[in-house]
Amino acid sequence: MTLNRDFFTALVFLLFSVGMFAATYSLPEPMFGQLASWAWPRVILVPMGFLSVIMLVQSQKHGGPNASLKDMISWFRENQNPFICFALFFGFLLAMPVLGMLLGGLLFVFLTLNVLGGWTPRQVLLHAVITAVCVIGMWAIFSLMLGVVLPEGTILRVY
Amino acid sequence: MFENIALAAPELFTLSTMMLMMMGTMAGLLAGAIPGFTIAMAVVLVLPFTFTMTPVEGLATMVAVYVGGLSGGLMSGILTGIPGTPSSVATTFDGYPLARSGKPGLALGIGVWSSFLGGVFASIVLMLVAPQLALIGLEFQPVDYFALIIFALTVTASMAGDQMVKGLMAGLVGLLVATVGSDVVFGQPRFTFGIDAMEQGFAFLPVLVGIFAFGRLLGDVKTREKAHQPLGGDTKAVHIDYLGSMIEVLRRWGNVLRSATIGVFVGVLPAAGSTISNILAYDQAKKTSKEHDQFGKGAVDGIIAPETANNATAGGALIVMMALGLPGDIMTAIMLGALLIHDVIPSPSFIADEPQIAYSIFLAFFVANFMMLGLQSVTLRGFVLITRVKLYMLSAVILFYCALGMFALNNIAWDMWTLFIFGVVGFFMRALGFPVVPLVLGVVLGRIAESRLSQVFARSDDIGVFLSRPWSLFFLLLACFSILFPLYQKQLAKGDARATWARFYVPLLLIVMAYPVYLMPGSIRPVVAILMGLGGLGLAGLEIKRGLVPQTNK
Repeated sequence: MTLNRDFFTALVFLLFSVGMFAATYSLPEPMFGQLASWAWPRVILVPMGFLSVIMLVQSQKHGGPNASLKDMISWFRENQNPFICFALFFGFLLAMPVLGMLLGGLLFVFLTLNVLGGWTPRQVLLHAVITAVCVIGMWAIFSLMLGVVLPEGTILRVY
Repeated sequence: MFENIALAAPELFTLSTMMLMMMGTMAGLLAGAIPGFTIAMAVVLVLPFTFTMTPVEGLATMVAVYVGGLSGGLMSGILTGIPGTPSSVATTFDGYPLARSGKPGLALGIGVWSSFLGGVFASIVLMLVAPQLALIGLEFQPVDYFALIIFALTVTASMAGDQMVKGLMAGLVGLLVATVGSDVVFGQPRFTFGIDAMEQGFAFLPVLVGIFAFGRLLGDVKTREKAHQPLGGDTKAVHIDYLGSMIEVLRRWGNVLRSATIGVFVGVLPAAGSTISNILAYDQAKKTSKEHDQFGKGAVDGIIAPETANNATAGGALIVMMALGLPGDIMTAIMLGALLIHDVIPSPSFIADEPQIAYSIFLAFFVANFMMLGLQSVTLRGFVLITRVKLYMLSAVILFYCALGMFALNNIAWDMWTLFIFGVVGFFMRALGFPVVPLVLGVVLGRIAESRLSQVFARSDDIGVFLSRPWSLFFLLLACFSILFPLYQKQLAKGDARATWARFYVPLLLIVMAYPVYLMPGSIRPVVAILMGLGGLGLAGLEIKRGLVPQTNK
């Protein structure tokens, strides 16, 4: 048995299909002879499970990229920047109720620019200017011109 | 048709709409000029600005961005050799060598004129064909729509080639994502797992932006070196040689017509967008040109073909979306989202019921091509400067803008979380080799498919209806053939050594498809079916005459 990347992917999909299929049993029964709430998801999940098995077989037959711990670590290292951006965006969303769109946006864009671009004084200054112009500009367009009520956060809330 | 155009024209040709279209075309040209920045992303980013506009203003602006984006890709493709968008990949094959040989102005001019002519051709076809196709669409019953959706998904998955299993799985994941929230028939919560916010389901635009823009942008800043690269390398300002290039293009009108026809035809097919049409048109131009040895070295025909085809494809894709209400690719999926936001629901009866809006879109597509032609020359210098911005700067700002735009969509924070979740999903699916286009189309088509299926079962429990209705049978048979298509393509590359079944693929397709066409109403379609059947039998006879055993390549 080859434990390659496709093998694990197929296994995850198979377990996911089985899990979701089991979850369809908690969905309500139909009324008046209509299409049941669980029917369409099952129509999707049965072929998904079947395809997962095919992928599982293919992963053994044709092989695929290795999935050793060393390979995984090197893949995560190669994709360090995207993961940092995801983490920063996650933080931005979490902090939204407190910081709001304006402060949160300023912090998110400034940090992302510095993490990706560098922290030399010149770069920090340039990033601060880009952040201020782009975030405040966009915030102003949406909230003042288009009349969208953006989350203001507890810090800037005046009432 | 002309009375409908007269009805739509006063609505479209207002100062404010024209200004908005200008800005839209500019934004599209700008986005297209930036390598790695897709047209889909540009349309998505412009979308929130259209919320407060009237339907005609908003939709005309979106169409302008679309047209601008298709043409913008040629600038970076010709000047830097890096295609701005996948739809201008083939443009670089001859555009870049011609520019490097000291004629960048001529190369750009040929590209601009070809784009313009391709767009104008497609908009005329759009106005003529879409209403006719909508009439055919009126014959469709829910069962036919459901079969059409299955066909669209299998075609999309088959485009993944060797990874077709992954393509089909991605499509199914998309369909499953669309089931989260509430069920279509009774509105009861489904797969919410006790999370209140999940009851709203996943709005498809945040899903789409998450998968496309988010994943794509983060892919652009993967390493420090990549993040610090300027968007379009070092390019110098040039001036377009309009007159010389126009003469060159018009002299090759045959190539223009052929490439535009290929473009429209590919656009009509589900999932086969301008990414495919530009390469297909290039290939045909090379095969038919008297100067085919010049291809790859700066051949004028090599620029005309892809640029005409990619703009014409947009018209083809819009025909199906407007006439049947089904998006065939990412761009039309976003356009459909834009239409729904403006309470415009495309369907076969849409063109007849809302001629003013429908023909405004057709006209906007036509007018946007003229705007693109004019704006390319005025703004070229500015675009060249913008391509010097570093990738990470653009990525950071656009990530924020995506969040802002998606919040503005429905004024709910959950849409930003959807954006984030599907950004992660898209990133991992790409990394694991799954094509994301079937995933997106699955999300877009999922609810439509379920609602059509429920309508089918509301009428009858008999699943035989899928095989007894001509259109349904037609699409289901096509879906079966499309699943085999990647294998057929593989065999085709082997030439005479291809397997016996591959030699009979096309004849069998014609013979089998003739049956549902024969069952269709009217007098023309049965005649077409007989011709298809005879054609298939003729081709099969030729193959039998050549011998059934595969010949080995020497």
